[in-house]
Amino acid sequence: MPVDQKQLTDREKELANELQAVKDRLRTCKKQVAMVMDLNKCIGCQLCSMACKTLWTQIEGREYMWWNKVNTQPGKGSPKDWERMGGGYKVLFGGKVRDPVRGQLPTRTDFGDNWKFNFEEVFASKAGGKHLVASNPDGSAPNWAMNWDEDQGGGKYPNAFYFYLPRICNHCSYPACVDACPRNALYKRDSDGAVVVDQERCKGYRFCLEACPYKVIYFNFIKKTSMKCIFCYPRLEEKVANACARQCTGRVRFVGFLDDKAGIIHKLVNVWKVALPLHPEYGTEPNVYYVPPLSPPALDEQGRIDPQKERIPMAYLRFLFGPEVEGALRTLKQELEKVRKGGKSELMEILIAREWKAMFGPFAADPAQLQRAPSKG
Amino acid sequence: MSNNDQSQQITASKLSASRKELLDLGAAAWTRLKSLRVETTATPLANQPSPYIKATFDEKVIGAVKELQVKAVHNGQDIFFYFEWGSENPNYTIGDVGTFPDGVALLLPFKGPDQTPIKEMGSKDFATNSWYWRPDFEEKPKNQIAHGLSTSLYTQETSLVSVSKWEKGTWRVVLARPLTVKEEAVNLTPGTETAIGFAVWEGGNGERGGVKAFSKEWRKLMLEA
Repeated sequence: MPVDQKQLTDREKELANELQAVKDRLRTCKKQVAMVMDLNKCIGCQLCSMACKTLWTQIEGREYMWWNKVNTQPGKGSPKDWERMGGGYKVLFGGKVRDPVRGQLPTRTDFGDNWKFNFEEVFASKAGGKHLVASNPDGSAPNWAMNWDEDQGGGKYPNAFYFYLPRICNHCSYPACVDACPRNALYKRDSDGAVVVDQERCKGYRFCLEACPYKVIYFNFIKKTSMKCIFCYPRLEEKVANACARQCTGRVRFVGFLDDKAGIIHKLVNVWKVALPLHPEYGTEPNVYYVPPLSPPALDEQGRIDPQKERIPMAYLRFLFGPEVEGALRTLKQELEKVRKGGKSELMEILIAREWKAMFGPFAADPAQLQRAPSKG
Repeated sequence: MSNNDQSQQITASKLSASRKELLDLGAAAWTRLKSLRVETTATPLANQPSPYIKATFDEKVIGAVKELQVKAVHNGQDIFFYFEWGSENPNYTIGDVGTFPDGVALLLPFKGPDQTPIKEMGSKDFATNSWYWRPDFEEKPKNQIAHGLSTSLYTQETSLVSVSKWEKGTWRVVLARPLTVKEEAVNLTPGTETAIGFAVWEGGNGERGGVKAFSKEWRKLMLEA
């Protein structure tokens, strides 16, 4: 039963306004950083995941977390079946009203738990005597993990298909997690719009996990607080791009400020309109955008190429990226065709990313060159 | 506003029992003392400091625990609160993402209870102190200070201790502390009175944070001289 506004006392109305003003403040930022990931270039190597893991999630109950992960699409993703877990908003009246949608909490095995391996047993046994086996902390055999359904994809032979979808926190402009937290522990940083969890305020109530429709928040069972991708803000402060972006071998990820009119992000998102948010219908206005995957042509039963038919069903791409995906793919194809015919395309030049550092806008500093005081002395 | 009904007062009788004796759920004092039955009810959705909770939770479902039995004693040094309430399936720890531990808490105003809104855990100028027990706090309950909804913070130090047991559908918890402590908290003095409120969480019902059952009004707490 929703709150009946007519039944509220004056104090309750006043309080509601005060609380709303706090939320409005927590979700505003002076500048918004964003990321564009070109799915046509992602090879699913998980170097981004490993860069993130190495930097942020090896310690203190974070071991099972993947603040960055690469899922195979179509697939159940991680946590398993996250797209069926609700959360986000029902957007009404052209965005004037956002009605929060109740979400479900995943289980730790839906994420893929912190596996233990029988390394000692294997080491102490004769060659081939014992094999490496993973088990969950409770001893059970794992039955899900990050990218568990790797390369399974969808479609039917000879038109089976898959592609990769790297996922981080979307650092939304209307973050459901910020709205959900009764402690005001979540907020957008003023300087870059990264959504972070104040670990001093968080009491581990997990309303944020429930409300996030992308299910990218993790619960730390040791610290009893919620944790998530922080968009590498300590690196951004030093003008260094995110670890996932710098580590990417496929030159998939562009980083920059969305409102920087001369920047690549603005060009891809607002000018060329080829970079789209994942599940825009969730109503949170993500700041991570994807260049949708171009499809290989379909094959007929004899194995002949049918250039008129695409192997990735448009309905599936619309499901992921919304109705704008058709226009984005049309633009990509047109520009690709232009280059194939010997012409020039600004869009293709950007996406090819010949100059690696140009992908990172104002965050092109080399972390190895930073002048940093030694931690002691 | 406090409840002035005499039958709704809690008197912390003075006993000569030791801390060790009273930190025992089977202590004679706990069997002998009459308890105050405190009705608890769902926290109002309208006051939830989360638009998400406000829009998606149901006040009828919140507040699974409808009543709490409370007893209190002091021995001149320490004060002890005894709680008893029904909970069919106890939640002890955060075993999984969707598991929430049961809990109980008491709330004390720093200043006049009449100016301290219990429904909002105090206000900017009228702070509250809560003693927050959960089975996963491992007998070291949290001492909290709040200046209104969503502002409560644990103090670094806590002098609170507890013992607890769940048996046959009932939680029994003793929460104790020296009458006077060093950390930021409401100090209590024998021979005086103040006000007290309560909250209780049924973890199995998804209750945590402000999603809980609570006593809507302050009760008078008298400390025997």
